[in-house]
Amino acid sequence: MKEEFLLGNGAMAIGLLEAGCQIMTSYPGTPSSEILPEVVRFSKANELNTAIEWSVNEKVAFDNAFAAAISGKRAACCMKMVGLNVAADSFMSAAYIGNIGGLVIISCDDPGPHSSQTEQDSRLMARLGKVPVMDPGSPEEAREMIKAAFELSEQFQVPVLVRPAIRVCHARQNIKYDKLESNLTKADFKKEPTRWASTPKFRFLQHKALNEKHIKISEKFDTFAPFNMSTRKKGQSYPFGIVTGGVPSAVIQDMFDDLGRDDIPVLKLGAPYPFPEKLAEGFMDACDKVLVIEETDTVIEYMLRDRHKTLGRLSGHVPMEGELIPEKIEGLINNALTDCGLTPLSTSDCGAEAMELIGGLELPMRRPTLCPGCPHRASFYSIRKAMPKAIFPSDIGCYTLGSNLGVVDTVLDMGAGITMASGFYNAYIQDDVHKPIVATMGDSTFFHSGTTALINAVYNDSRFVLVILDNHITAMTGMQPAITQGVRVDGRKGNAISLETIVKGCGIEYLKVIDPFDTKNMIQTIKDAAEYANDPDGGIAVIISRHPCVIGFKDEAIPEKIEVCVSDDCDDCGFCHMRFECPAMVRNKETEKTEINKVLCAECGVCIQICPRDAVEKA
Amino acid sequence: MKTINYVLTGLGGQGILFLTKVLATTALTKGFNILGAETHGMAQRGGSVVSHLRVGDARSSLIRAGEADFLLSMDEAEAYRYLPYLKKGAKLFANAPSNAFPNEKVAAFLDKNQIEPFAMEASKIAMDLGSPRSTNLAMIAFYAAFDSGPLSADDLRATVDSMSPGAFKTTNLKIFDACYDTGRKMAIK
Repeated sequence: MKEEFLLGNGAMAIGLLEAGCQIMTSYPGTPSSEILPEVVRFSKANELNTAIEWSVNEKVAFDNAFAAAISGKRAACCMKMVGLNVAADSFMSAAYIGNIGGLVIISCDDPGPHSSQTEQDSRLMARLGKVPVMDPGSPEEAREMIKAAFELSEQFQVPVLVRPAIRVCHARQNIKYDKLESNLTKADFKKEPTRWASTPKFRFLQHKALNEKHIKISEKFDTFAPFNMSTRKKGQSYPFGIVTGGVPSAVIQDMFDDLGRDDIPVLKLGAPYPFPEKLAEGFMDACDKVLVIEETDTVIEYMLRDRHKTLGRLSGHVPMEGELIPEKIEGLINNALTDCGLTPLSTSDCGAEAMELIGGLELPMRRPTLCPGCPHRASFYSIRKAMPKAIFPSDIGCYTLGSNLGVVDTVLDMGAGITMASGFYNAYIQDDVHKPIVATMGDSTFFHSGTTALINAVYNDSRFVLVILDNHITAMTGMQPAITQGVRVDGRKGNAISLETIVKGCGIEYLKVIDPFDTKNMIQTIKDAAEYANDPDGGIAVIISRHPCVIGFKDEAIPEKIEVCVSDDCDDCGFCHMRFECPAMVRNKETEKTEINKVLCAECGVCIQICPRDAVEKA
Repeated sequence: MKTINYVLTGLGGQGILFLTKVLATTALTKGFNILGAETHGMAQRGGSVVSHLRVGDARSSLIRAGEADFLLSMDEAEAYRYLPYLKKGAKLFANAPSNAFPNEKVAAFLDKNQIEPFAMEASKIAMDLGSPRSTNLAMIAFYAAFDSGPLSADDLRATVDSMSPGAFKTTNLKIFDACYDTGRKMAIK
């Protein structure tokens, strides 16, 4: 027996392997990114034969896992919740068709949002796709739910979605586990075209069969302890009860223990869909009012279906947006109890006095920013310098932070750096306006969703400059290997895919590869590229701005360290710390000059090139 | 046992996650259950980083406002930002000059809530002793000197010893001992 202080994502990796998951696919995205590497770590440590891959995107990951599951193997794919949008096409069909070996999809939600573009609730996607869903409250529960999800998936031949929120994924907990064993089930795909390749007529029948399964699963969920359970005493009636699930259910249990409140019954629905009708009905009958506390949307609240008894988002008792952090839950339970004429849980101000004090302290706003020495910063500097009046569509990744540098005008979703560039071009050219457009996109994002966008733009003769920011790694999500490097998730060699070949294969004739640390060259290259894009005989111009990530490739990224200092020529213009936004360049209030923070400085030396007063020099 | 709650804060790159790991590993070797919450992804890039650590039998990873027993902050402003977490009678440890911390407005609030503030220039000591990146360990030693909570100074030092990579071990322990001594002097007063 071993014990480790594991991330929720690590605890889920243990759960996957304990369940005998044989095939595991994923595309990284916060907060899901560590699940797959943890599966690799535990598989290696236990010499398991798990087949594990970083897929090019979430749809690819899903389909790979699905094929394995209909071959009789236990398979899983994991992603962040916006990744499930990318996989949605397959996901919507999967429950109709069903599976043989267990198929579990882990879609990690980000209420807040902390590191995402939406607060969407994956449980709603599960409803849309008619996929049963489970919602863990802690790492340990997530591990147990994954095992139960595989059992359920095989029993009913239907995929199961597990939806851990960020407070499960990035919680850490001490987890005990035994030696893990390989699952040796062999692939055995049995042809059955009316099922696996069903036409609309058969899809109707599959839909009907799925609905029948749902009735049975709903009944199973009525007694699905400890995931679904109620603390009410049989025969007793209550003025007020709470219905909850996922992370808020853990918070509420802790809070009631702390405050010694056992007079308020709690119905916890860790498996809320298909809805456990009887379990919920008994609870509703026993309570005069129930408050629904769930993240992030109104899944349970809708399914309770009693607008007279139910308090929650729809009645204005729970905020419609934002994470339900513990003090917020405490406050909203207090308010709901007061509204019902009952004694609140506590007289706590839930941190309000301290918050007011802090509000008056004028603490520094600390927005996320690119790391010191980040090659993207140099690229963005050059792009802005070369094309100050352009529209800058960009994309999802570390380089989204280029918005701080004024070089990211739009961020929609993965791939939209290119699709929106062509969209802007079309909108302007209709008015005979040749609007300069410089799009940016990272290497991993380009493979994920950029290629179809670029093919479309070439085919339809759009004109813009595309700068692919190639840092050899998927950095924002925690340094996953890039496809261009040919290294697979478990360190084995794969086949490296050449960015240049793909770009040319999309029909691009103008391609330059430059190093962003040479800003003078990059500025000129962008100007030349813009001219080509604007030429009637030209086309889309692509620049690959190539330099390794300074965090992922510490030694290679800055082979020649350049120690810098700031001379007396600094006139406090602020360009370096406000526009270039290097965290290592700090304004000294007393001297009214910039200083270098030696702890943070990566010694890339790019600041020497960008200082408008030439006041940064080699030390 | 009653859950003991730690809020650990600072800026991205200051090693908050490692600091959390040292406390957690120590708690684990003493047989406690532990639960924590971390900052990853975009929120981690240069911004304010906070980590929650709960020693005991909690179910949810986040500490509720007004429930933290200890706040260790690698940065003065970040110490202020997370004040709402502290409970009555809590202790606050900050990497800041001891003669200028806390500021007046905050001092009145702390007084009222019987929260004891302690400050030490951890980053300066770590830098002087040759490893500015070990400021996180300096803060652990400073906290350890006050001998409050379920983790003893000896146990914490042993964890620092076992978790420090070979090349940094001697320096890290030197920093730990120096900061422990500085803290002891304050604690005895």
